[in-house]
Amino acid sequence: MFINAMGLILADHKKIQLGELSRPRALAAMPYGGRYRIIDFMLSNMVNSGITQVGVIALSKYKSLMDHLGTGSSWDLDRKQPGLNILPPYINSANVDKGGEIDDLTGLLDFFQAYQYKYVIMANSNVVFNATFDDFVSRHEESGADISVLYNRDSIRYGTPSVILNLDRRGNLRDIMLDPPKPSATRCSLGVIVLDRELLIDLVSESIARGERDFSIEKLIRRYDEYRIRGIEYKGQVLRINNIPTYFASTMRLLEDQIRDELFGSGLPVYTKVKDEAPTLYVEGNSVKNSVISDGCLINGTVENSMLFRGVTISRHAVIKNSIIMQDAFISEGVELENVILDKNCVIRPGIKLVGQQDYPVVIGKGAIV
Amino acid sequence: MAKNEVIAMILAGGQGSRLGVLTKHLAKPAVPYGSRYRIIDFPLSNCTNSGIEMVGVLTQYQPLALNTYIGNGHPWDLDRNKGGAFILPPYQSTSRSDWYTGTANAIFQNIEFIENYDPRYILVLSGDHIYKMDYAKMLQAHIREEADATIAVFEVPWEEASRFGLILTDEKDYVTDFQEKPKKPQSNLASMGVYVFTWESLRKQLIEDDSNKNSSHDFGKNIIPRMLKDGDRLCAYRFSGYWKDVGTIASLWEANMDILDRPEELNFRDRSWRIYSKNPVKPAHYIASSAKVVNSALTDGCSIYGTVEHSVLSNSVTVEKGAVVRDSILMPGVTVKSGAFLDKCIVGFETVIGRNVRAGASVEGTCDYNSPYCQDGITVFERGLVIRDNSVIPGNCMVECSGDQECSDVIESTFRVR
Repeated sequence: MFINAMGLILADHKKIQLGELSRPRALAAMPYGGRYRIIDFMLSNMVNSGITQVGVIALSKYKSLMDHLGTGSSWDLDRKQPGLNILPPYINSANVDKGGEIDDLTGLLDFFQAYQYKYVIMANSNVVFNATFDDFVSRHEESGADISVLYNRDSIRYGTPSVILNLDRRGNLRDIMLDPPKPSATRCSLGVIVLDRELLIDLVSESIARGERDFSIEKLIRRYDEYRIRGIEYKGQVLRINNIPTYFASTMRLLEDQIRDELFGSGLPVYTKVKDEAPTLYVEGNSVKNSVISDGCLINGTVENSMLFRGVTISRHAVIKNSIIMQDAFISEGVELENVILDKNCVIRPGIKLVGQQDYPVVIGKGAIV
Repeated sequence: MAKNEVIAMILAGGQGSRLGVLTKHLAKPAVPYGSRYRIIDFPLSNCTNSGIEMVGVLTQYQPLALNTYIGNGHPWDLDRNKGGAFILPPYQSTSRSDWYTGTANAIFQNIEFIENYDPRYILVLSGDHIYKMDYAKMLQAHIREEADATIAVFEVPWEEASRFGLILTDEKDYVTDFQEKPKKPQSNLASMGVYVFTWESLRKQLIEDDSNKNSSHDFGKNIIPRMLKDGDRLCAYRFSGYWKDVGTIASLWEANMDILDRPEELNFRDRSWRIYSKNPVKPAHYIASSAKVVNSALTDGCSIYGTVEHSVLSNSVTVEKGAVVRDSILMPGVTVKSGAFLDKCIVGFETVIGRNVRAGASVEGTCDYNSPYCQDGITVFERGLVIRDNSVIPGNCMVECSGDQECSDVIESTFRVR
């Protein structure tokens, strides 16, 4: 409930690209699940754990992320003392003189030093689950490990990057493999770790001293020879977003009652930016089956096995199947879409037909007029 | 205009007794409306959209839900450093301590609050009307006419005029007289309960009115007629557009159905005039393969496995497979179990309608819950009830648990709604 920790979310991941979808935004700001961005889940997990100080490291394309997070008020992180800190790369004047090199890590050090929390929980932005970190932190504390890393038994199912952990009998990390073709273990890192803030400061300072600019969870847990790093299994439902097919598949799994129950029915709220949309109107003649629909939509046509974000208009005689339609899209009369991911603000003109494959959906970029 | 030259005062203290059990635990302005709103979202959003950032909300009857709902005014952008939303309950002072005895008295008791901000104009609003209105335009008309008071009016059909407080005007739309629900209407301009006053003029009237022992301290009954008598300049401001007083079960039902039947009139999708509300923090809603949803409004957190026709559902409503909900209004958290049938029902917060229950207008049967407040076949369920499986409840009923006997042949149990 009141864990003595601060949070740090890495908004980007060098090994994860979602093609056209990540062109305008960081991974963390990727729209997901109808009314959310991926980061909402991790932020809510932290807030629901009683964490009131969260940093978000954004390396590039952070406008969308900043629009979404704002002051953090949607997560109750608009606080006087701690609260939400967006940490974009920061160019200090000394660096500018030397040719304007961007220095990610110095700013980070200031952030860690400003507060006196015992632990830092660090997380990547490609996993979706709903839990508090109370158990994680207390197990970390009990074990006396330097770093603990969450994993589950997903193995390499979600494709690259799958970070497979080899643990010894006592749960200590002995080896790490990235995308092994024949994994010897099923333990796949969730990209969530907890460690002492003091230790993290040491590790970051060391990196700065070595002139390194790269900072990732994978890099930290690679030091299992020097530090005692333990794996802790997370047994709840996890959805991963590693590429477009897994983004598509992870979204479609939200149509299953059991998955929605685990993600949203646990009593731990998932917070997101409030949009004050209208209620969704189902007009005479529509037909909606097995779909998740957000507020502010107007539905005249047919929607099956699909995910509609906020403010989508589906005109008469349009048929949408197995598709993800993001915010404010306008689908004209007679349009047929199947296995399509439509980014925000797209307009599909009357009579257009787009069909993708389940393993390879058609992706239409933000604001396109087709 | 400087921001605090005008203060809006929303009268939100009335009980709304004609809404029966719907206002048993909360004041009328806090009653859910239109799938994702509460009634008071309309005047509050109108204020924000009109650029009025100083809003007093006068509460009295069952204020807890309303106070909690409004909080610091954040959902309406009314958490301002200067100004914002203020909840104003009646209070005790050295000289007097009184409940608000009338609409004018409520403002009178807050003279000190108003004077602290030294406004030039006061906008007096009701907390129980559904409409979208730009108060800034009305204020401009008031200032242009150099009026002491401006009353918003809208044209009603002549045959309905006798149900309203009517404003009589001359050819320049200056107010000449006022008739409260007359048998023989001489005008079809109904007062909307939206007033702009020049503070100086109103202040004087309020103080005089307070010392008048025969006055019922009401704007319509006392203040406006008095101002007319005193020769103050009163203007009518014509409003055209959707406006509805949701004071009765029938009008609340109608106003909800208007979202479905006259969507262009209220147009909640209009982004230039958003209606803001407090967010329930629920996931997007789910429509299952077995579901059929036609001509209805839904919002976050709903899970629909059955049939929903021509109905307005608030957040977190579950309709199970095989259940049919028609012409109904389901408030937040309601569950309709499989095989149940609801026809023209209004169901309060979190009530559970048991399996194969049949209730509403087209259902035949007898019932102990007949209520004079329910008309046109509408049946209302109190919040926090569990209705027994297989119950049959006809139209025009108000199903509630009364203090001494909690359960009955239709109520299996009750629970506390938080």
